[in-house]
Amino acid sequence: MPPIEAGLAEEDPFAPYYFQHEEQKICGELVSSITDCYTADYPSVVDRFFTRYYYIKGGAPYQVLYHSNRICLICLAPTHPAFSEGIASVSYDVGNIDRSQNVVKGKAKKGGMILQADTTLALLTTETGTVYKIPSCIRGKLVEVNNALQTDAKQLQQAPEGAGYFAILLPKIENCDDIKANLLSQQQFEEQLKNVET
Amino acid sequence: MKNQELIDYLASCGVCRVCQLRYLKARGNEYRNMQQTFQRLDVKVEETDIKTPEDESDEQPPKKQRLAICSTCLGLFSDEFQSQLIEAISKSDFANYDSEGIVLAITLPLTLQLRQLSMWLALQRKFGKSTFNDNCAPDVPIKEAVKLILHPIVCSKLGKEYDANGLMINIDVRHSVETEEVAKLTELNRAAFPGKKRIEISRGLLEKQYQPARIKAELFEKYLAIPPAAVEDPLQLQSIDLMGPIVCVAGRYRKLSRELSHTPWVLQGKRIMEESIEEIIVQQVAPHFSDTLDKVTFMSSGREDVDVRCLGKGRPFVLEIMNARRSSLSRQEAHQMELAVDRSGKVSIHNLQVVPREELTHIKTGEEQKRKYYRALCVLNEPVTLDILKRLQISESFIIQQKTPIRVLHRRPLHTRPRSIYSVKTCVSRENRRLLIIDVVSQAGTYIKELVHGEFGRTTPSISSIIGKPIDILALDVVGIDLDWPADVNNAEVEVE
Repeated sequence: MPPIEAGLAEEDPFAPYYFQHEEQKICGELVSSITDCYTADYPSVVDRFFTRYYYIKGGAPYQVLYHSNRICLICLAPTHPAFSEGIASVSYDVGNIDRSQNVVKGKAKKGGMILQADTTLALLTTETGTVYKIPSCIRGKLVEVNNALQTDAKQLQQAPEGAGYFAILLPKIENCDDIKANLLSQQQFEEQLKNVET
Repeated sequence: MKNQELIDYLASCGVCRVCQLRYLKARGNEYRNMQQTFQRLDVKVEETDIKTPEDESDEQPPKKQRLAICSTCLGLFSDEFQSQLIEAISKSDFANYDSEGIVLAITLPLTLQLRQLSMWLALQRKFGKSTFNDNCAPDVPIKEAVKLILHPIVCSKLGKEYDANGLMINIDVRHSVETEEVAKLTELNRAAFPGKKRIEISRGLLEKQYQPARIKAELFEKYLAIPPAAVEDPLQLQSIDLMGPIVCVAGRYRKLSRELSHTPWVLQGKRIMEESIEEIIVQQVAPHFSDTLDKVTFMSSGREDVDVRCLGKGRPFVLEIMNARRSSLSRQEAHQMELAVDRSGKVSIHNLQVVPREELTHIKTGEEQKRKYYRALCVLNEPVTLDILKRLQISESFIIQQKTPIRVLHRRPLHTRPRSIYSVKTCVSRENRRLLIIDVVSQAGTYIKELVHGEFGRTTPSISSIIGKPIDILALDVVGIDLDWPADVNNAEVEVE
């Protein structure tokens, strides 16, 4: 805590926390401060590593965050009607099988459920009582479900982009081109939104 | 049985003096002064065919009458073979290796093993199984005798010392009767072990199966002579092949570039980046020790991502150099290498030194226990509050659960790993209150980038979950690795005479 002295009432309360770069020489050069790496237009985690794709099922849009290493996060598109209806609960028990029981082993994710694009991944119930069958959106192996959604689905409502993912899927390398071709790109998705509005 | 009787019998079978001592189970330096050893063991031998240490002087009289070739060692322990061997080694690339220690690895014909069995059977016949039983070999095995007899002689002639980890001299020795006797052995094997299909005749097979307990003398004799037959030719040196020792060079490296991978980064056969830490260091250090850079292994105490700098004292590393010609490194030479690596402008090395191989365990073991010190540049969506700053001063350690990050999930198994965070200390940029500089001390193996932003909730708790706000990481530096190895050496300090 900053020492409080008489006559210094306006002392900056952040003063004890200001960063001071320590000088160091490596390769005969002064090492630059880590703060030099700041750029005002720094892209977000999603923008840095993922490409956004969309999939529409039953008139509702879903988002696929496609990582540069082909891992896919399955999410709701921001325009999904569930957001306005209010999200009540999420279940991975889709009737005949409980996807939260998925177990993968090893590098190859052995044992993961094989899903097709329109296979139901999870069930989402809204405050208005509508049940949305969340599709897998792509063909691939189920690696992980988002257990946090089962216990607290409401967080989906305000979750930052990506944090409300339903599941992580790993497509086969040889299917990747097909998968991307069958999804809507960000641009195609936006155009479609415009068409709906007009 | 008296020793004298044994020696007389062996001599009658054409066994040389050295091998006679082997059958007396002579040990260590008893082979050095054979006359004395024979005397001590109460054996009389003709003096003329035993050399005394004085005889070993360089001006030996031009060969006494050539002795017959020993039927058990085929001349392996003869003076002729020794001088032939020394000459062949001297003619090889030997002088280009500076290793103080050497070790001989001799590949011997199988017939030597057959002859040992033959002599064993002969001795049983002559002196009875009570004297030479089935389970205990009657001689000091040739392999061991090579160590006891040949090694010291070769070492002293070459001015080197014996060292199992030193320069390995691979010697391939052949003999003219080998093909013929192995053919007979194949027939014998078929008769001795019928039913077993196609068995490869190998050294292992001989060692395991070919003992008096398993092979009857009568059967053996149908194919091969008991005692072993005399030979006309001596052993032939087929080839000499040198394999230098493994030399380990350790040091610490620091990395200044945020665009430099740890090891060559190749994707689908194409290089993503021109250089790597490994290559920059290996190119400057390894040529001093070896001509073949592809036989060099680079190891370090962990690694950092391509875009992460490594500052502070740097990260311990070691190069394991196979087949090294040189095994030492002077301080000046080390300093020159350090300067050469510095010129890359991306990587710097110091504390460069040759270390004993046993010390590599420092790098390899206890990896999970090591503490790593990081500095992260992080950004908030809005200016930091005093409350957040205070919450990010954590001096008590806590445990996080971290799922395998998505960025490596395609090639690594999915696990949730507990990791200890020992402390967190946070500063703010004076110029931009959205910018935080967070110093983290963590257990090795913690993914720091994911610790900061929480990776969609896959790392919990995270810096983001602790403050309940999104936070992202812009840059990361490793500022310390808690491993006091290798020792500090200041190679720049020139010794003044």
